[in-house]
Amino acid sequence: MMSKNAFLAMLNHRMGVVIFTAGKVLRFTFFGAFIYFLLSKTNTLAGYTLHQTLFFFLTFNLIDVISQFLFREAYRFRPLIVSGNFDLILIKPINALFRSLMGGADILDLFTIPPLIFAVYYVGSLLDPTASQVILYIILVANGLVISTAFHIAVLSLGIITLEIDHTIMIYRDLTNLGRLPIDIYKQPLKGVLTYLVPVGVMITLPAKAMMGLVTPVGVAISFALGFIMMTLMLRFWKLALKQYTSASS
Amino acid sequence: MKKYLSIFKISFAQEFAYRVNFIMWRVRNVLQILLVFFLWSAVFTNPQTELFGYNRDKILTYVFGIFILRALVLSSRAVDIAGEIARGELTNYLLKPINYIKYWFTRDISSKALNLSFATVEIVILYFFLRPTFFIQTDPLQIFLFLVAVVFAVVMFFGLLVLVNFVTFWLPEGGWASQFLIIVIFTEFLSGAVFPIDILPEAIQNVLYALPFPYLMFFPLQVYLGKLSMTATLQSLLISGIWMMFMIVVINQVWARGIKKYSAVGR
Repeated sequence: MMSKNAFLAMLNHRMGVVIFTAGKVLRFTFFGAFIYFLLSKTNTLAGYTLHQTLFFFLTFNLIDVISQFLFREAYRFRPLIVSGNFDLILIKPINALFRSLMGGADILDLFTIPPLIFAVYYVGSLLDPTASQVILYIILVANGLVISTAFHIAVLSLGIITLEIDHTIMIYRDLTNLGRLPIDIYKQPLKGVLTYLVPVGVMITLPAKAMMGLVTPVGVAISFALGFIMMTLMLRFWKLALKQYTSASS
Repeated sequence: MKKYLSIFKISFAQEFAYRVNFIMWRVRNVLQILLVFFLWSAVFTNPQTELFGYNRDKILTYVFGIFILRALVLSSRAVDIAGEIARGELTNYLLKPINYIKYWFTRDISSKALNLSFATVEIVILYFFLRPTFFIQTDPLQIFLFLVAVVFAVVMFFGLLVLVNFVTFWLPEGGWASQFLIIVIFTEFLSGAVFPIDILPEAIQNVLYALPFPYLMFFPLQVYLGKLSMTATLQSLLISGIWMMFMIVVINQVWARGIKKYSAVGR
């Protein structure tokens, strides 16, 4: 029902929505074309071939687009806090976190996700993976989405405490954008930060590497542990943030 | 002139009223440049590599040049114009003895001055962390032509941004989407901010050089790096100058028509 309402609200701004979607498709196309033209001259990037590099890029897009599809409502959270209208969500018989996080799915992404999945399937098939690599890839993508969820919960919680959410969420997007390409291109300590502290590497690079048979069991175990720990911590952080909510303007 | 100087000072001070916003904006700029820097570092791992007419020094200079030019050319307050028109707040300016376009240009210059100051400090910090090797241009003529190209780019981008925002006169809800498409997507990729335009096939380059976007950042940096012949530099400067004049003429024309359409909805 919430998604249906979000879709109906979106239909009020048809022209804007069409232009916005065209922009997203163009961004994907431009960066994909850039990778193609670059690697057609260099042949490899940080030791990865064109197909592998494209697969990293597609995996990034898959996780990013699904996250944006599910959590679009998080981008509308700040006005609720600043105006005090968050009270109206708290008193309703629906989980406040669920409502704040997933209360307005971006229906437009339903049009962009299927072609993306097809592209992932097609380029992935060119890597000639085994069945176990494919299964591991799917599970690690799911784990990546769990980590993304934890990030979004952290952003919402920080938004309640600090009233600053717009830039926080964009900084999260900028950090995950560093995962457009394999994080092996980065040097230490940035690579370490992106692997363990802000686990963009675990979210995005690791699933793609699983498809290429480049992950170890220890690495996979660490990634699941990281996903579990982050989710647990962020749910606690959310509860702490709720206690700090002062409903200042309502 | 005095009133515009006052606008400059107030706008400058206003940026510090929203310190967190500004700091976050600068952090985002640094994060965005890291991807580009490390990508090209990875491509040019071998210092002897020459690709697309660049060596390691020139490509890393290009990347840092993009960082500076982002602050100088692309940082702008004029993104707020669409909101003012849509909310009817434009009425306040129509009642004052001030030219709306000059008002926003002054605010733009103020924002650029502040962003450039911070970008310079950030470049120094990034230099100590990343230790890139640079190409330093020593030809005074090239430096002069580079500065001319940058001035053209500043005015051109302002015109482009204002034009996109003026769409709001006719499509009150369309301003943000048009900004996203033209300013975020087209400008980001076609101005050379993510990759130099000359890595693309020549046929695509020729099409892009007819558009204003490459003259925002790519072309000034080509002049600085000395990658163009004098003939090509002057030709491109001419095209850049024509685009700049075109933008100035068009935004004034669109303003004249838009103001007749304006109905102060929301007031």
